[in-house]
Amino acid sequence: MQAEQQQFSLDTLNIIGPDHYAKNGYPHAEWTYLRKQKPVFWCEFPNTDPFWAITKYADIVQISKQPRLFNNSQRLLVFVPDAPAEPDPVPPFRHLLNMDPPDHGDFRSIVSRRFTPRAVRELEPEIERITGEVLDRMVDRTSCDFVIDISSKIPLAVIAELLGVPHQDWEKLFRWTNQVIGGGDPEFQEGTNSDETFDRARMELFTYFTDMVARRMKNPTNDITSIVANSSINGTPMPQFEMLSYYFLLVVAGNETTRNATTGGLLALIENPEQFHRLKQDRSLVKSAVEEIVRWTSPVIQFARTATQDTEVRAQKIRQGESVCLFYPSANRDEDVFENPFKFDVGRNPNPHIAFGIGEHFCLGANLARLELEVIFRQLAERLDYAELAGPVERLRSSFVGGIKHMPIKCQMKPATMQ
Amino acid sequence: MKVVVDLKLCEGNMRCQEAAPEVFEVGDDDRSRVLIENPTGATLERVRLAARLCPRQAITIEDK
Repeated sequence: MQAEQQQFSLDTLNIIGPDHYAKNGYPHAEWTYLRKQKPVFWCEFPNTDPFWAITKYADIVQISKQPRLFNNSQRLLVFVPDAPAEPDPVPPFRHLLNMDPPDHGDFRSIVSRRFTPRAVRELEPEIERITGEVLDRMVDRTSCDFVIDISSKIPLAVIAELLGVPHQDWEKLFRWTNQVIGGGDPEFQEGTNSDETFDRARMELFTYFTDMVARRMKNPTNDITSIVANSSINGTPMPQFEMLSYYFLLVVAGNETTRNATTGGLLALIENPEQFHRLKQDRSLVKSAVEEIVRWTSPVIQFARTATQDTEVRAQKIRQGESVCLFYPSANRDEDVFENPFKFDVGRNPNPHIAFGIGEHFCLGANLARLELEVIFRQLAERLDYAELAGPVERLRSSFVGGIKHMPIKCQMKPATMQ
Repeated sequence: MKVVVDLKLCEGNMRCQEAAPEVFEVGDDDRSRVLIENPTGATLERVRLAARLCPRQAITIEDK
């Protein structure tokens, strides 16, 4: 992990191939090298358009703060398919992630008040209950797959309840999320390739929510599905394509990131037992521990932006139409911002990580994710007496989301203490 | 010197109020209100921190 001294050749250095992520996790040694040697680095890889790799914290902030100079709509992320792919004539969705101002703000404000610190605080008792029930099921067991049995269950239940999706359909949400994010991974592939996997899941989700929208238009409720279904943009009802894309985004984003922060967080605590001990001794550290877990895991690896006119980043000329790829986990290990960036420290303060992004496209669900993680790690600190790895950690074959598919652990979970 | 919150960007993430409670107040409308427009000294430093921490980068400190 402390591979700061490693040398690489810029000709062969690979920070975007999904196989690296499946085998080794994040290429921190490569990013560290780039931050020092080539922080704005032109990358050409097979099957994807070239891009500038941005690895410094300050540069990612600077770019993110200028959503008109660096837009989202032209290229959402650097996607690396296994075979040359025909570019889609029309994007398969249009939601917050591939919208620009002023549309982005108009669409975002439809649900943003549901995700403020104040609004999500009201969900705390429900998240406590959901988490408690998931952990209760572990009391009589001595081992589990932490992903399947614990970390995937909680965000799934929370986003499903916010959307008003009935319990019997939660498995569908789980499967669609895996197929959308993990379509490049053999475990989740359906059909012949990642594109086909992605498209089937997207169509199933669109069909499912088309039905639900019809019901919510007839009988409005208080869930987010109903709010979006009955919303207007500048006085005009939201078009159906944007509406379905909205649900697509909320389902996928609500599941995948928190799950991986939770899994990666426990892994970090297992690998740093003195930090786990410290957290157990002093629960007032839960908030800072959560921030450190989010910095440490940085579940979203990258998003892209495209320059709308000629400009410069760190004195490097970027031409109109060229894209930049923002590597958030690299920014969150930047030596210029974080003291001992490769130390996992549950008491880290200050911790101005940008794992949720920053600026116009700052993660809409950040406050909800923080609350979920707070509840989960507070309960784990209270109840998880002991945990160790019982087999290899299986990582997702993706250079977009740093996923952990399976994490077998041996563990001892205490019953909840009576209040 | 003038502290300004862009209300089109502000979503009430509370970071400003946590960093400089004497300058920023997030109301029931989930928008931040500037209580002191031209802070100085240590207060100004806390405002700069708030501007850095604001998730949506809604705070600017205009030099006049």
